[in-house]
Amino acid sequence: MPVFNFNPLTLNKIKRFKSIRRGYYSFIIFTLLVLLSCAAEMLVNSRALVVAYQGQWYFPTYGDIIPGTQLGFEYEYETNYRVLKKRLQGSDSGFVLLPPIPYNPYETDLKNNQFPPFPPSFEDQHYLGTDTIGRDVAARLVYGFRTAIFFSLILLVVSYLIGVSIGAAMGYFGGLFDLLFQRIIEIWSNIPFLYVIMIVSSIMIPNFYTLIAIILVFGWIQMTWYMRTVTYKEKAREYVMAARALGASHKRVIFNHILPNTISIIVTFIPFSIANGIIALTSLDYLGFGLPAPTPSWGELLSQGSNNLESVWIVSSVIVAMTVILVMVTFIGEAIREAFDPKKHTTYE
Amino acid sequence: MTQYFIRRLLLIVPTFIGITILVFVITRFVPGGPIERMIAEVQQAAMQGGAGTMQSTTSGIGGATLDEDQIRQLEQYYGFDKPVLVSYWDWLIKVVQFDLGVSTRYSEPVWDTIRERLPVSAFYGITTMLITYFISIPLGYLKAIRHNSHFDHASSVVVFIGYAIPSYVVGIILLVVFASNLEWFPMGGFYGDDFDDLESKWEQAADVFYHAALPLMAYVAGSFAVMTFMMKNALMDNLAADYVRTAIAKGMPFREAITRHAMRNSLIPIATHFGNNISVIIGGSFLIEKIFNIDGLGLLGYESIVERDYPIVMGVLVISAILQLVGNILSDICVAVVDPRVQFR
Repeated sequence: MPVFNFNPLTLNKIKRFKSIRRGYYSFIIFTLLVLLSCAAEMLVNSRALVVAYQGQWYFPTYGDIIPGTQLGFEYEYETNYRVLKKRLQGSDSGFVLLPPIPYNPYETDLKNNQFPPFPPSFEDQHYLGTDTIGRDVAARLVYGFRTAIFFSLILLVVSYLIGVSIGAAMGYFGGLFDLLFQRIIEIWSNIPFLYVIMIVSSIMIPNFYTLIAIILVFGWIQMTWYMRTVTYKEKAREYVMAARALGASHKRVIFNHILPNTISIIVTFIPFSIANGIIALTSLDYLGFGLPAPTPSWGELLSQGSNNLESVWIVSSVIVAMTVILVMVTFIGEAIREAFDPKKHTTYE
Repeated sequence: MTQYFIRRLLLIVPTFIGITILVFVITRFVPGGPIERMIAEVQQAAMQGGAGTMQSTTSGIGGATLDEDQIRQLEQYYGFDKPVLVSYWDWLIKVVQFDLGVSTRYSEPVWDTIRERLPVSAFYGITTMLITYFISIPLGYLKAIRHNSHFDHASSVVVFIGYAIPSYVVGIILLVVFASNLEWFPMGGFYGDDFDDLESKWEQAADVFYHAALPLMAYVAGSFAVMTFMMKNALMDNLAADYVRTAIAKGMPFREAITRHAMRNSLIPIATHFGNNISVIIGGSFLIEKIFNIDGLGLLGYESIVERDYPIVMGVLVISAILQLVGNILSDICVAVVDPRVQFR
């Protein structure tokens, strides 16, 4: 018994999607990256994964900090596991297992008589170097990816919820409601929105959720408009009339008949919305109107990198990461579109 | 038809008021406006003036700050003493008379500042559009004709990458590679420092294009992907249409069928796309102009937000909103002119 009961049409679409390898592999890799980023604390962290010290086992990744006194240091603040590892090396009293990148995105790793940024070095395990105040670039890249992806996922869900409900209502009920929102959308879509967002967030320093809210103010339009058109078309078709004639309520017609038929169109928009969300956040961060300062973000790295072009590792690592992710998302989007709406053209030899 | 466009033109008015009132109200409730900034500046100046002048200032401890009267005068000067809607109305009346106020930072009329910057942005916008057409139309044509060939697949990857990466990131890449590392092109600016010393107009033009090469590439990278796909899809739709089939069936050579029939119709969506481009150029220019340090409208808008120079913020908003609104209508008029089947009601 399969978990999902897809109808043959949907199965066909999935099969077509899998046959487009560029998009399918991108999809697998991208999903993996998102899942991995959820567990970023175990891959990129200054806290050790496992510490065995004097017969006791510690798993510091999640949970409260373990003060240095507990692991044989004099200080009360959090243990520096990298130092602990060096100290325990070669002794029998225990061992430390650090994550692959043993830095968190906020800590500054400074050296005597030298000023950051430091170039990449395997010795220090700064695989992509450090930024201008000595934070690990790789760590900030990973956590920045997680911020960006969840930012655009939340943005996507909320804006689609708003867009689908208002759009479907506009298309289905028409009339005054439709007219009213048409006017609102017409005004709204003519506002130079990046500019206005910049103005708004220069005034109130936004956090993660308020920034989503600010972008949402402009972000709901596209989906609403699309949904309106689609619902409008679907409503005119015979099956809707038949359902109505059989006595189905408006609610039933919308949720059981029209929405399932429009899902396939909504799905084709998702990857492009994700890409747009990432780009929007990164642009705002780049300009300095995005998330507040210490938050790891690609836009902040980008602006640091382009202000310090001689430290080429900063700008190149964030550009490579951005390019890879955005190109993958675009490939996924193109494959989904192709799978859901294959355009078969007559071609001439 | 004329009726429709007149209605559209009239609709600009409520839209314009909607946009400007929104931003006007926002800028009004902001801490750190021009007056606060001035107070801070005066304080700073007093601090820097140092101990030497301390004794000579008569008003003693409070001498560094502006007194109540002065603040009230300033408020009056900037129109901050009236309710929001009243001062919005005053502002609107002035805008209708092409008076956008005086910049708080440069102390010169906003309209002059904008007029200085607008040609720079327009130069980039128009050149980008021309180059984009120049690349996209032949490329889209070739991709449609050789659909599913190696050339098609290979160029698709390039176009996808161009589509996926935002243009300002392309700009940064170009800056890193060609300006910073290879040093083939300058780091930014609209023209070089010795621009005025250059002998002929040709040399000056060459200097401008030398500086414009990288930003133009970035702009084009941002816009050619959509255009190429549009061209390809339109041409393929038309090639599959019955009238092309008929033309070929009656013995017309394939090339001629394309150039005489399919190509003409495929150019319609391309030709009418430019109205939307106006807004794209304005929207994208914040980032690219900031990266390449080009003194255009985008950079002006960005800097004025950072510096809280609200007359300029509002001025840039007015200009870009009008351009965008007019651009949309222009592109609809184009659709109607090029394609007589289209009926707007």
